Formats: sequence, C-alpha cells, structure tokens
Amino acid sequence: MSSHVLPETEDTIVALASAPGRAGVGVLRLSGKQTFDILKQITNNTPSPRHAHLCICRDKHGEILDHALVLWFPAPHSFTGEDVAEIQAHGSPVVLDLLIARCIELGARMARPGEFSERAFLNDKMDLAQAEAIADLIDSSSAQAAKSAIRSLTGDFSAHIHAIAARLLHLRMYVEAAIDFPEEEVDFLSDGVVLQQLETAINLLQQLLNQAQLGAMLREGMTVVLAGAPNAGKSSLLNRLSGDDRAIVTEIPGTTRDLLREHINIAGVPMTVIDTAGLHDSQDIVEQEGMKRAKHAVSHADLCLLLIDGHKQTERDVIKLLANIDLPKDMQAKTIIVINKIDLSEEHPHVDTLNQHACVWISAKENQGIDLLIKLLLDTIGFHPPQEGVFLARRRHITILQICYDRLTTAMHQFNKLKAGELLAEDLRLAHDKLGEITGRVSSDDLLGAIFSQFCIGK
Amino acid sequence: MDLSITYDVIVVGGGHAGTEAALAAARMGATTLLLTHNIETLGQMSCNPAIGGIGKGHLVREIDAFGGAMALATDQAGIQFRILNASKGPAVRATRAQADRLLYKQAIRSMLENQANLHIFQQAVEDLIVQQHKIHGVVTQMGLRIHAKTVVLTTGTFLGGKIHIGLEQYQGGRAGDPPANALAARLRDLNLPVGRLKTGTPPRIDGRSIDYSELAEQWGDNPQPIFSFMGSAAMHPAQIACHITHTNEKTHDIIRASLDKSPMYTGVIEGVGPRYCPSIEDKVMRFADKNSHQIFLEPEGLTTHEVYPNGISTSLPYEAQLALVRSMKGCEQANILRPGYAIEYDYFDPRALTPSLACKAIAGLYFAGQINGTTGYEEAGAQGLLAGINAVLYSREQTPFTLGREQAYLGVMIDDLTTLGTQEPYRMFTSRAEYRLQLREDNADLRLTEIAYQLGLVDATRYAAFMKKQIDIQNEKARIATHWVLPNSDISRALQPHIGDISREYNLEDLLKRPELDYPVLKTIESLGPFPDSEAVCEQVAIQIKYQGYIDRQEEEVERHKKYAHLTLPKQLDYRQVIGLSHEVAEKLAKNQPLTIGHAARIQGMTPAAISLLLIHLKKHAYDQRQSA
Repeated sequence: MSSHVLPETEDTIVALASAPGRAGVGVLRLSGKQTFDILKQITNNTPSPRHAHLCICRDKHGEILDHALVLWFPAPHSFTGEDVAEIQAHGSPVVLDLLIARCIELGARMARPGEFSERAFLNDKMDLAQAEAIADLIDSSSAQAAKSAIRSLTGDFSAHIHAIAARLLHLRMYVEAAIDFPEEEVDFLSDGVVLQQLETAINLLQQLLNQAQLGAMLREGMTVVLAGAPNAGKSSLLNRLSGDDRAIVTEIPGTTRDLLREHINIAGVPMTVIDTAGLHDSQDIVEQEGMKRAKHAVSHADLCLLLIDGHKQTERDVIKLLANIDLPKDMQAKTIIVINKIDLSEEHPHVDTLNQHACVWISAKENQGIDLLIKLLLDTIGFHPPQEGVFLARRRHITILQICYDRLTTAMHQFNKLKAGELLAEDLRLAHDKLGEITGRVSSDDLLGAIFSQFCIGK
Repeated sequence: MDLSITYDVIVVGGGHAGTEAALAAARMGATTLLLTHNIETLGQMSCNPAIGGIGKGHLVREIDAFGGAMALATDQAGIQFRILNASKGPAVRATRAQADRLLYKQAIRSMLENQANLHIFQQAVEDLIVQQHKIHGVVTQMGLRIHAKTVVLTTGTFLGGKIHIGLEQYQGGRAGDPPANALAARLRDLNLPVGRLKTGTPPRIDGRSIDYSELAEQWGDNPQPIFSFMGSAAMHPAQIACHITHTNEKTHDIIRASLDKSPMYTGVIEGVGPRYCPSIEDKVMRFADKNSHQIFLEPEGLTTHEVYPNGISTSLPYEAQLALVRSMKGCEQANILRPGYAIEYDYFDPRALTPSLACKAIAGLYFAGQINGTTGYEEAGAQGLLAGINAVLYSREQTPFTLGREQAYLGVMIDDLTTLGTQEPYRMFTSRAEYRLQLREDNADLRLTEIAYQLGLVDATRYAAFMKKQIDIQNEKARIATHWVLPNSDISRALQPHIGDISREYNLEDLLKRPELDYPVLKTIESLGPFPDSEAVCEQVAIQIKYQGYIDRQEEEVERHKKYAHLTLPKQLDYRQVIGLSHEVAEKLAKNQPLTIGHAARIQGMTPAAISLLLIHLKKHAYDQRQSA
C-alpha cells in the first residue's frame, strides 16, 4: 500500500554530497546503521573514527573502483546523528555511480532529496531555527529530482518500464482475482497462464536491465586500440589522455610482441587501451604474429586510434597503413586518425576527415588539441557526459528494476516449489510496489477496480 | 429498560453490528441498553444466508478471538461448511458457512438474552440528545428520553431507506420493515457528511418448485470445518447441499428487454452500488460476451423451503424477475416467495470518524456497520465490536482502543474507512491487507485474544484454552528445533523420499523450512513423536516454521515505519502554514484531518517529501510551543 511514503528511519542511505557536475573530487555520504559494515566491505579496512584513511575501493569481484579518502563518524557525533561515512573519490560521474551502486548492493538505499538534512534535523543535529531552510531544501531538491527522473525516463526506457508495469498489473489482477474470488468459474492459478505471464515479465525486465546499465561497456570500461609506429608518440598520448585519472594497473607484457594494456579513465569513462606495439608493414615472422594479434584486437575493440607521426609520415603512409590493418566493416566508423607532433610540423590543432575517417591534429607533447581528441573520442563511441541529476536518477531507476527483478524471480521459484498462491501474490505485490516508485503506485483499490472491470465477479 | 439510570452505552439497532456492540460492551461490565424497533428481527440475516468467505471469514475469526457472537452462532446454525482457497496457502484460506436463518437468529437472541449487564428494549429511536457537541442519550418513538454516556448507532440500511422494484418505489429499511426517517432527518441536521449508497437482493424461490434432479450438487467439506475457536462439529445441525444452475441466452434476452423498466438503467437510482456484487442486469450489460453466469441455489434453512438464488440480485419489475428465474434450468416451474429489490440508503462518510469509530464532531457518539458505508454481516459485526469497546472506554474516561493494519483485518478496514472513506459499499478482500501473510484465520486468537482479555472481553474458559494452545505451540516448536536428524539414521531414511539424502546433521526445524517437507509427513514417522494432540497446535507449528522468512520480512516492514507512523498530528493544524507543501496536498490534509503521520501517509497523492515537510513542521511547532510556554 502506500506506507512507502513514510520515512524509513532504520535504513542506511547513500547519496552524492558534493556539488553536481564534473569535479576533481566527488564526495559520497552514507548514514544509518549499516554504514560501518558497508564501508568495511568496500575498503577492506577498519577505519578509526574521525580519521582520514586512503583506501582502495573495490567492487564485489575485487576489481578496483577507485582510490579514495574515507572518513568514519560513529553516532551520535556526526552530521545526521547516525553512523556516517564519507568517501571522497575522484569526481568522475561513472566512478561515483559505480561506488553508489556498490553501496546499494551492500544494503544501502539511495537517499531521497534532502534526506540527510532531514535526518540531521529530526535527530536534533541542526538548529531548529533552520526548519525553514531544510523545508525549502527538501521542496526544491524534490522538484529537481522529479525533473531529473523525467529526463532519465525518456524514450524507450520509459516505454519499456510502463509496459512492464502494465504486465505486472495484469498478472496481479489474475492472481488476486483467483485468491479473493475462488468461487468464480476460472482458477487462473492452476491453468498455467499466470506462470507463463510471469516468465514473460521476468524476461522483459531482464532485457531492460541489460539495456539500462548504460551499456555494459561503461560498467566494464571500453576497449580502445592504439595503433601506430613505435615512435609516433603513443606513450605520451596515453599519459595525456589519462591525465590525473591515470589508472594504477599496468600489466607487464609477456614478450615484446604481446599487447600492452593500460587502464585509464577519460572524462569519467573507464577505458582499456591496448597498445599494439608494432602495427606496421613488416615481413618479419615474429612481427607478423604481432600483426595478427593487433588485427584481432582491432576487430574486438570499441574504438581504434591510428596514431601518425605528422612530422615524418605523409598521407600516403596513412592510406597504406589503413590498407594493412584491413579494418572490419563495423570498425570503419569507429576509427580515428590522430596526427601527432603538430608542434614540429607547425600545424594548428583541428578536426577534419581523411580518407573517410575522422582525423584530428594534435601535439601530445605540447598538450595541443587533446580536448578536441577527447571530444571526438567520446562522440564516436556515443557517450555524452550526462547531467549529474539524470545520472543519479538513472541509478535510482536501475536499483528499482533490479529489486523488482529479484522479487519476480523469487516469486517464480516459490510458486514452482510451494504452489502457494499467496506467496506468489506477496512477491508480486512487493515487485509491483517497487516499480510503482517509478510509474506511480497502484493501490489495492485500483487493483480491485481492474479486477472488477475485467472479470464478472459476484456470486 | 430502566429510565431512572444513565446507561454507560446505548446501542441503536439489533443487526450484526448492534448485537456485537451491545454484547462487547456488556461483557466489559458496562451497563448497556440495546434498542431495536423489533425484537423479532435481532440477528436477522437480511441478505444471503451465509457467513464468512475470503476476507470475511477472517473478520469472523477476529470477532471470535474477542469473545464475540458471530462465529459461535454460525457453528450452531451452519448447515454447510466449506474451506475456500484450501490449496492457495494458509493466509488466504477462509471458512464459509451456509446458515439456517432461524437457527442463527435464535442463537444470537439467546446470547443477547443471557448476557449479564445487557437490557433489551423494543422502541425505534427518533432523536439524539446532544448538548454542546456531546451525546447525552436518545429519544424514542413514543417520546421516552433515555440517558446514556455514549450512544452507538448501528442503523444499517434503515436511514432514509428507499426500496425499488421496477419503477415502483416505497420507503423501507428492509423488505417488511419501516425505514428510520425521523432519525435520518435528525442526523442530517447535525451536519455530518452524508451520502447515498445502493445495494440489492435477489428474489427468493420456493424450493418445492425447483427440479433439482438435473442440477449439480455442492456439499460441504468433510471433516466439517469449525468457525469458532471454542466451537466444535458437534454443535452443527444437520448438513445439506447447495445446487448450481446457470443463466442462459434466454435469461439475458429477458433482462435486456426489461431494461426500460429498470430503476438502475433509467436513472431512478442515484446511490452507488458495489462493483463486486453487481445486479444480474449489470452483469449482462457489462459483460455482454459472457453468455452464461453461475447461480448458486442456497437453502435458507432446515425448516423452510425458501431458497436464495445467489447471483441474480435484481431490481427489475416482478414480471421480469419471474420470467428470468423460470428461464434457468431446474427453475422452469419455480415460484417466487419474495421479490428481489434494490435499496438506497443514507450513509455517513467514515472519514468523519476516528479510528475508534467515534464521531469527531459529537463526543460519545459512535457509528458502526452499514451506516459507515460498508456491506456484509461480518464487516458490520467487526465494527460493532470495536465501537462497543470504545464506547465503554469513553464512558470510563479511558484511552481509545484501536487496531493497526498489521494486527487485524478489522484494523485494515477501520483504517481504510477512516482515512480513505469509500465510494461504494465497502467489502473486505484479502488484497486490501498488505500484511496478509500475518493476518490469517488460523492465528486470529494468537493475534488478538490476549488483547481482548486485557480489555475484559474474554471469559476464563476461552482464556485458559488460549493459554494452553500458546504453551503447546511453544513447546512443540522448541522440541522440533532441538530434535536432530543424523545422516544414515532410520529417520533420515524415512525422510529420504521427501528431501533426499542429508549430508550432515540437521534439526527438524531446518528440514521443515524446506518446501519439500511438510509437518504432516513428520507425523507419519512414529519415532519423531510424541506430537501434540491438538490439530490446531500442529497447524500453527507447521505454518509458523514454513512462513518464518516471509513473516519476518513483513514484521521488519512494520518496524521500519514505526518511528513516525504513530506520531500524532495536532487537531487544529493549519496545513497552509507548512512550508513547501503544495496547495493541493495541504487541501487534502485539511479535508481529511489525519490523526497521525501514518494516516497522512495513506491519503492519496501524498509524497515522501510532503511527509518530510510535515515532520519538520511538527518538530518546529513543538519547539515553538515549548519556547512560549
């Protein structure tokens, strides 16, 4: 029912505490009983109260999400009066999103707008004279959140969510009708229709979840192949691209002909850059093996950067190189030609096309045209840095979908095993209520209304 | 009836709400008077001769857990008992009984007449004595002024009742009874929010004129289900069958041809009828693609031939009623004993009541039953019980008694009514209860009898039986939890067909949590005994273990909201002063006057942000008051 409207004071909440937008540092705040446990699991560390700790934050597979400064404030000496933690991470929206997702996975829920301040106020941690300010904050940030939610819910995403909500309503209509009106002539629980519909709903939700993850590539990072002659300036470009977000891990190549991988973070998008050491014309057998690997890497990449030494190489060299790589069809549009060392050739940084490929003139050494390259790179892979509000709204939606999905699979499992319609109904209700946080709550009376309009009830 | 005393409680009306209210008040030791316009109709079943069903059976068991009358009367009057939803899980399982109308009335009358502290008097009530927004008693038809500290109104469909058969209409509270028009007019004068509802009833058929030979029979369950926690199958009278017939295209043609004489389809009836109990005209028109509807022929009793054809409630003219009845199989020669009719009546918007069913505007006045916009004997009885209890508490200047949505169906119903109101006659359904898995028929006593005992509603016999059951359940659960099963033991081999081989030692409780293993299976293995003698105890142990996970989760849900749900809102709160609240939300709150944050949260259109704003306002408000004090 609508008890969701009531404050859930026992919950641990998480939210971004720093100002929206891309910044050097982003601060996550957690408040509530589970805070310490969550912190411990993310950082594998037991922080002492009110001390700054430099920690490595990891996901559930142990993969590094970020290096962060972590602060732990036990209750009641904290902002909200509850157990509070702050995680000061790098400001990339993607990294922060992954951190929030991890906290949710460990039992937190996303805070409602203004909820930290609300808790602080209700726990006597704020001057009562600030009541108006807090009220204004909740009011305005709720409005902001609502706008973000609408922006996040555009197009197919919204259509699919509403389609799933409609299916759930339909499904519940059958299940609840079977329970509340057993003397009517059809028993929907025993005739298999319900189970089939449930399966369809689960599949739809699964598909939507896959799509909604903002592309699996954002989660695991994209793969970029960096090709070009050894002296074209690949490592200086790599350093330039990664900037402050330079990742920690560099795998040691097995042989000189192996591919070198670097994990970097460009504009908040995690990327794996594969340096194809020797992608050039060669008759050497060992080098040919290297070429084979390079070509394989290119065909599996999300993007290919072809680096040219603008001082030494000509347009003809570029065409020859392209022919040599023999780009697969779907990579044609995802290959960018990067002409480096314009500081020596005295050209200006600019973007153009060359042999039907996007081409950008830069100097990695002198930091010229790097911004153009990054923009071109992000445009090419189809990533547009989202507004912060939309990003968080999307995270909220994905969390809801995930819970909904878990409930439905439990429902399926329970019904198959216990055959108790009431447990199926319970899980369906919880799933539907959860989805209702996006699509609007369906009250029990609405549900009954749907039943009465669909079935001729009344003995 | 004693004119020289001031009664603690006067109950107006002798239907299902009135009898439970009067009995509850008297059980608590209050000096109680039950006023009815006709003693012969005490405990009358005005509509179908059945008690219970999904959601409704739950209410009956709750009334019973409070020591009420309905379940025991049904055990003494039931002529066919069934468990509905037997296969869908214990929470939605419900008892339903056909009752012999006469036996039921006799059982209720006997309980009323033998109840200590209860006076019964036959007089219609025409007026209320109200002074300074406080009730002081009632005035009867012959001008008697009877004084009381509290009055419970349970006037059913009698307020401004108007009966429709075809385009003919006359004033009446029920077929054969006059309406309570003077009281209706008086209540309208008090400026309470009033509305019109409608309900209907089918024609009754002479059973001797029905040919049952071609009709499907429906018998009750064997063993016979028992309604009351204190009941037994030995109380039941002889059991008989119901029969099933169907409407057909011919029936539907007759109905369609008569719609120009239907008060519903010609706009004569203004009141809103229930969606779940449509008239046969409604069914035929709204579900035109359905060419047949199932009709249950329910006997009205052992000593009468009267039959209640459940499913053809109608207000068509008599000629059409006779033709449509005779169009059905087995009823070709049927004679009608009483015509069907629709009845319109006044009800009071229950949002004008507190969750203890007290009228917010007039202290000491309580409303229960159909007057609050509900339908059904069970819904009425349950409200009567709660109103009776609260009238007594008020007369003793004690705190009101309310039930939460997580405690009882009664709590769900009262909360729905007093926070959301109702647009149609309100009936209980299990889907209304979000804590459905906890609110079962089988545990109504475990949920409520202790509370009832504290209130003084339960006698020593019932309480002792309840205590014993509770202890037996605890003992058996403890025994199960400490009974270990070893791999490769005789017991594990006996369980093998159900759960397969076990790799390590398990206690029985853990094994019972598995979907594949049920408690009744354990009982077949003698060496696992001794098992409790009582079936009810075994049932509780089985359900409690199996559903533990779900019930824990629901309890957690309750717990999560507890901190603020019961926080009371000041009576005179000016919602326009709450910063940030939208005009629309402030208006809804002002209109509904919620008593607590929990109530406010259930008003439609309420958002988490709105509740946050309210909380902040309350905190500030409390602070400001402390400052100025």
